[in-house]
Amino acid sequence: MVRRYLGLTVGQVLLIGWTALTLLPFLLILAFSFRTNADLYAHPLGVGGSYHPENYLTAWQGPGDGAGMVTFFTNTVIAAVLALVVTLTLGSMAAFFATKLSPRLRSAFLGVFLVGQVVPFVLIIVPYFQVANELSLLNQPAVLGVVYGVLAMPTTVLVLNSYYADFPYELIEAATVDGLGEFAAYLRVVLPLSKGALTAVGMLMLVYVWGEAQLGIVMLQTPQSQTVSIGMLGFQGQFVSDLGPLFAGLSLATIPVIILYLVFNRFVTKGIALGGVFR
Amino acid sequence: MVLARKETVLAGARGRPSRRPRSGSRIVGSRRSTLVLTVLPAVLLMVLFVALPALEGIRISFSDWSGFGSVDFIGLQNYIDAIEDSPFLGSLVTTAIYSSLSMAGIVVIATLLAAAVSGRVRGSAFYRVVWFLPGIAPVTAAGVFWAIAFQPKTGIVNVLLGAIGLGNAHAWLASPTLSIYPTIFVTVWANVGFAFLLVLGAMEQIPTSVYEAARIDGSSTLRTFFSLTLPLIRPVLAITAVLELIFQFNGFTIIWSMTQGGPGYATSTLPVLIYTQAFQLTHFGVGGAMAVMGGALLIVVGLFSIRLSRSKQED
Repeated sequence: MVRRYLGLTVGQVLLIGWTALTLLPFLLILAFSFRTNADLYAHPLGVGGSYHPENYLTAWQGPGDGAGMVTFFTNTVIAAVLALVVTLTLGSMAAFFATKLSPRLRSAFLGVFLVGQVVPFVLIIVPYFQVANELSLLNQPAVLGVVYGVLAMPTTVLVLNSYYADFPYELIEAATVDGLGEFAAYLRVVLPLSKGALTAVGMLMLVYVWGEAQLGIVMLQTPQSQTVSIGMLGFQGQFVSDLGPLFAGLSLATIPVIILYLVFNRFVTKGIALGGVFR
Repeated sequence: MVLARKETVLAGARGRPSRRPRSGSRIVGSRRSTLVLTVLPAVLLMVLFVALPALEGIRISFSDWSGFGSVDFIGLQNYIDAIEDSPFLGSLVTTAIYSSLSMAGIVVIATLLAAAVSGRVRGSAFYRVVWFLPGIAPVTAAGVFWAIAFQPKTGIVNVLLGAIGLGNAHAWLASPTLSIYPTIFVTVWANVGFAFLLVLGAMEQIPTSVYEAARIDGSSTLRTFFSLTLPLIRPVLAITAVLELIFQFNGFTIIWSMTQGGPGYATSTLPVLIYTQAFQLTHFGVGGAMAVMGGALLIVVGLFSIRLSRSKQED
């Protein structure tokens, strides 16, 4: 009994401790975003002294000649929209019609994406830079968005293909009997019915685009072209002696995706349960 | 019924007569042209954006390409350079330490947390949402925050340690021997949420009757956890461990945003070192050779650990 009670207490400490560890950094970023360096050093816990909401304005406009959050947000939206369009349209179409392939072709099809998922990322970054540089496609968030869409294709296709494998075919049958072609049936019957799975994949995609940096740092070298996550690395250097606006930037970079997650967390969890990953 | 129809579809697509009787519907066989037009674009994109770049990456590793101009073949020179006079071998050790310790931390903490939540503690819905936040936040933002938090004297970690009498002048990130540990800590912090969901999913598959039987037999909570829960979720645990090992082997962003691989090469895991070699020193060939060797190693390690986790399950 004593041991059981002890076990429970250790469990509770673990739960509360880990919850604090996951929440505190975000609360601190928020608290620090209203401070000056002097206040941060004098009141390291983020309370007391003066508060400076104008840090957000500085972060929004960026330091002196550099780019600010407004630029990073715009670029991220451009990249995210293109990534979503590429991965959801081509990915879901391929995933659905692949269920109609012969078993041999279908496993070859899935094999392509399984292999695509394990190709070491470091191996393909230099060639991306090489080609983008030659074709003058560096520093363009739209181009990076398309690349993100393709790189997310294995996750999209594998998740959606396993989802479509259990799809109620009677519905498509009914649609074709009603005179719809099979592609029209896909557009008007299959897509609306797989909204949940598409949203799940789309959420994983958004979180991925919002946070990706390994390729972004190579493809987006001018501050004016950078997405939120790359922009933070620039902020780190530019605001090294003025931490308030840096924290305001971190806060602006984090809040939208957290709100999105809090609203759609069901779909994120579902996407992961279906085998999705963020990379 | 559905299965039978699907097989008809499949046979039809192959242009062979179906062995099963058709179910009388007209749906079945998609036209070949529809299949080609819908399936092929995604496959072609994979070839264009993954297969060809990978081959080009291998080609660059045998060349003296410096970022522009032609790619001239110089044989194995980059591989010799990478192995002989560069931080490559040290980086392999760093990568092994970083990825295995991160993986261990992630899997252990995720398992403990999942055990706690699957025991239906109060507020488990809240925990599920909150624990995933570090994995949702942009990795660079988290890395920049923690890099500041680990600064001596002014960083919040040092402030808190100072407040409980453990000293506030720890300069972990500036220490060649210690700097790897804060990056491992942040990696664990950011990735537990994902592993937690996988492990929890496995635990929730265990029927409650199994636990009831154990309780009737008088098994303690700890005993039930170690001799019942853990063996039952071992397949998922093994997959999670392999996945996390591969993810962290490839990990770049947390280390880059916290230490940029420094001080010196102390936290330069392979992806960080390759980035430095290629894009800062413009030794694209040497970086490429490292990428090829690292990639090959990763595939070997991945296959080996999948094997290992499978054979363990068969015990």
